[in-house]
Amino acid sequence: MRNVSHLAIAALTLSVSLAGSAYAADPVKVGVTVTQSPPGSVVQGTQVKDGLEVAAKMLNDQGGVLGRPIELVVEDTQGLPEKARAAVEKLITRDKVVAIVGEHQSSNVLAGMEVAHRYHVPYINTNGWADAIREKGYPEVFNPNNYNRRVAMAAADSIKKLGAKKVVAFAENTDYGIGLAKGIAEQLKAVAPDISYRFDTLDRAAKDYLPAILPLRSDPPDVVVDIMLPPAAYIMMNQVYEQGVAPATKTWLYDASGLADYPDFWQNVKEAGKDMLVFGLYHPKMKAPELAKTIGDAYTKKTGAQPSRLLYQAADSLLVVADAIKRANSTEPDPLVKALEATKYTGTRGEITFSTESGYKYHQWLDIPYVTFQITEIGQKVADAPLVEQAGQPLDPSKLARP
Amino acid sequence: MLTGALAADLAVNGLVTGLFYALMAVGLALIFGVLRIVNFAHGEFYMVGAYAYTIVAARLGVPLAVALPTAFLFGAALGWIVERTLMRPLYANIATWGLMRDEYAVIVTFGLSLLLVNLVDKAIGPYAFRAPALVSASRIVVGPALMSGQKVAAAGVTLVTLAFIALFLRFSYWGRAVRAVSQNRLGASLAGIDATAVSSLVFALAGGLAALAGALLSPIINASPDVGAFPAIKSYVIVVLGGMGSILGAFIASLLLGLVESFGAVLVSYQYRDTFGLVLLILFLLFRPQGLFGERGREV
Amino acid sequence: MSGDIRLRREFIATALLLVMLALLPLVQRDVYWLGVLVVSAYFAILASSWNLLAGFTGQFSLAPAAFAMIGAYGAALSATYYSVPPILGLIIGTGAAGLIGLVLGRIVMRLKGPYLALTTLSFAEIARLVASNSINITRGDLGLPIEGWFNDRVLWFYVFLGALAFVICGLYLLLRSKAGLFLEAIRDDEIAAARSGVRIVFWKTAAFAISSAAAGFAGALYAYFASLVTPELGLVQQTGLVVSMTVIGGMGSLIGPVVGAFLVYVTSEWLRDVGGWQLVIFAALVIVFARLFRTGLWGLVTAALQPRRGKPA
Repeated sequence: MRNVSHLAIAALTLSVSLAGSAYAADPVKVGVTVTQSPPGSVVQGTQVKDGLEVAAKMLNDQGGVLGRPIELVVEDTQGLPEKARAAVEKLITRDKVVAIVGEHQSSNVLAGMEVAHRYHVPYINTNGWADAIREKGYPEVFNPNNYNRRVAMAAADSIKKLGAKKVVAFAENTDYGIGLAKGIAEQLKAVAPDISYRFDTLDRAAKDYLPAILPLRSDPPDVVVDIMLPPAAYIMMNQVYEQGVAPATKTWLYDASGLADYPDFWQNVKEAGKDMLVFGLYHPKMKAPELAKTIGDAYTKKTGAQPSRLLYQAADSLLVVADAIKRANSTEPDPLVKALEATKYTGTRGEITFSTESGYKYHQWLDIPYVTFQITEIGQKVADAPLVEQAGQPLDPSKLARP
Repeated sequence: MLTGALAADLAVNGLVTGLFYALMAVGLALIFGVLRIVNFAHGEFYMVGAYAYTIVAARLGVPLAVALPTAFLFGAALGWIVERTLMRPLYANIATWGLMRDEYAVIVTFGLSLLLVNLVDKAIGPYAFRAPALVSASRIVVGPALMSGQKVAAAGVTLVTLAFIALFLRFSYWGRAVRAVSQNRLGASLAGIDATAVSSLVFALAGGLAALAGALLSPIINASPDVGAFPAIKSYVIVVLGGMGSILGAFIASLLLGLVESFGAVLVSYQYRDTFGLVLLILFLLFRPQGLFGERGREV
Repeated sequence: MSGDIRLRREFIATALLLVMLALLPLVQRDVYWLGVLVVSAYFAILASSWNLLAGFTGQFSLAPAAFAMIGAYGAALSATYYSVPPILGLIIGTGAAGLIGLVLGRIVMRLKGPYLALTTLSFAEIARLVASNSINITRGDLGLPIEGWFNDRVLWFYVFLGALAFVICGLYLLLRSKAGLFLEAIRDDEIAAARSGVRIVFWKTAAFAISSAAAGFAGALYAYFASLVTPELGLVQQTGLVVSMTVIGGMGSLIGPVVGAFLVYVTSEWLRDVGGWQLVIFAALVIVFARLFRTGLWGLVTAALQPRRGKPA
């Protein structure tokens, strides 16, 4: 008799607590700051947002973190540092998020991370390449994405292999543009001091770059480097092509911003994109973990677009946070930051770890994989563009298509 | 290093840019000549034209030859409405503004500019729109210079339009009425010209021309809510340089500004090329307020 | 005489408004909304400074945002390169803006209406382009960071309210004196004023200098609050906001700009989540008010509260 009543009470308690826990799963809020309106890059912002949503859905389908679903709270920064600052502050003080992810513009990262540092909340830099972000040394900031120094080294290396003697770069007047332009200058000085290199800073809000491009008609360089983002980058590329400067028989066009995988690239850049060399953080034929395919397919199903590097960077940003929460068994800032520092997680691009050396390496995933590929047809999908350089396959100019 | 080839390049490109400026500036000069005000919403007529053309051509699939005049008519209609609803107080006697009619015009056109920009931003969206080009060739040779096909086509249409305007002003009844009111409003109405109708006509014409400019350039400079700010500032500079109210002055000043900016960007400073015009504007207003071709004694 | 009474009424009304605002933190301590109020106060100071120049002296400058930007950069640059303490930074920012305003005022002395507007607009654009392109000095569009003064949001709120009160009191004393008469005379009919012996050159320049200094003061204070100064502060859109706030609130009245600033900015933030048509509405209001109710909201309120009399007040 007693056993049965004990059993009944136990069953009752169990069922009540189960029911209770179903209602007690309040979500883990993660703040997202992205550009969803001009003057910032809406195309970038949307790719990041979609990527985060795909990753969040995947995580929630697997049970969420610590039994709680992840909820993304999205704020539009318009690509302006002041708005980014305000957005992070709102997310932390009003929405009480456990971490901030998603920022894809360097100047916005610099503005937003100040607030995260002040409130001691983890901040995952999704696509800010500026070395200045790392050099600040804030313990809350983690960078599982590309950094300018990496691109600078890659670009300098490729330029050297192309056998160039004169190089002109067009950089946008932002942290990203100027930082990378200067970085390439430093790297070139180190690995190929006899190459003459200069860069022009262009206003990303301007619509006409002819005055900067026209002088190149009579004095063409061997390589023109693109360090700009859309839509300004497209205008510049079109005008560089229109004036017969690059891609041309004597002049390569090297896209250091990796724009060829943007959804609106071919809409805006027609013949100007043919024969362009592209620095790629993602190529469908490059070696990648199984998770990449899963997330990539989910993304294509959701948006109808081909996966791009921003998707994977965004997904990794959220996955890294989820992984840290699981290991720390908490969403409090201090244990979360500690857990993030000890990350050893295989995301969509490889195994992510964060260095603790100061300077541009601080909290940076140093071995970001990259490739170089060349577009050989107008309208070509990235998957069809031949890989001309990747880990284990150095660049060979004789194998490249000449315009 | 200014080689002959580069100079020729800069000259051709500068003149073509100047042509586009002229389309905007001539309208502004007309407005000033007849209504004696600076229309601070002029850039928004450009913007409206860009959108009208893009939406009609790209979304509704209307043939381009029809889309262009549609954009012009859109701008003209908007100009006419603005003049009738907001500019009437300039001739009527409004007690609240007293002698501050100029200030009223500044505030009202400024407010109109804000209204149109934000209205379009909310109603259509803040993203830039791609418009179909008139000519799809990426590269056409024009003398020593290379230019996109769209630019060549747009320049052609602009030249034809400007020529038409010049003929209109010189020979048609309404054209001469415009010139009469521009010279002396009171005298013209005493001579039997309906000055109010002329004001409406001029505002409509200016709106149409600016809209046409926006439409022609929209394949190159995609339509977005704030696309009008940049051409607007250029037209203010030009109208001051050319002499407020002088159409010929506006035309010549447009070409000059195009050349100055083109050469200045390469020879002086690329980054500050937008300031050349602004500095010229300030200097002219201070030392030669009548501009290059304006009438002496115009009260500034 | 009646102008004096009107002015005193406006001053009292403004004082009451400020007292009410000062009591707010007792019920509302939300960091985010306090921040919104701080920015509203910034705009209130800016709008009041513009009102002195445009509403009371009839000089329609389109450069108020530029002067705020100059004040902000004055403070940020001196803090970054010369490590000056905040109080000194504030003084430098205010002084720089005032000085440049003085020079600009002198230059545009003989310009009126749209010519004045065009010249000040060009000046504002040039200033912004210079700030934006001098990347080595100002870091351009990335913004120049500045050491925050203190972090307590409530304290910042009171500092800004205090600054606003200070500016309003200053304006009140100025306008109550003979200076006020001179400025309004210049606004209403410059030629007649000159004939009556008003020193046009002196007073127009003074109005420009004081207005710009006040704008610079607001900008410098804001720089310390936001910890980041960007050329965005000087955009024409910001001037548009200031003009809208003043016109809607009521040009030529002491309280108009303050009411306009708080109303426009708070509503703007409040409606931000709900779609954001507020800017369209405000712009439409500017046109409507300019066309029909030049004295703005404050004018409407006072007209409604006025008992019907035979003579106008």
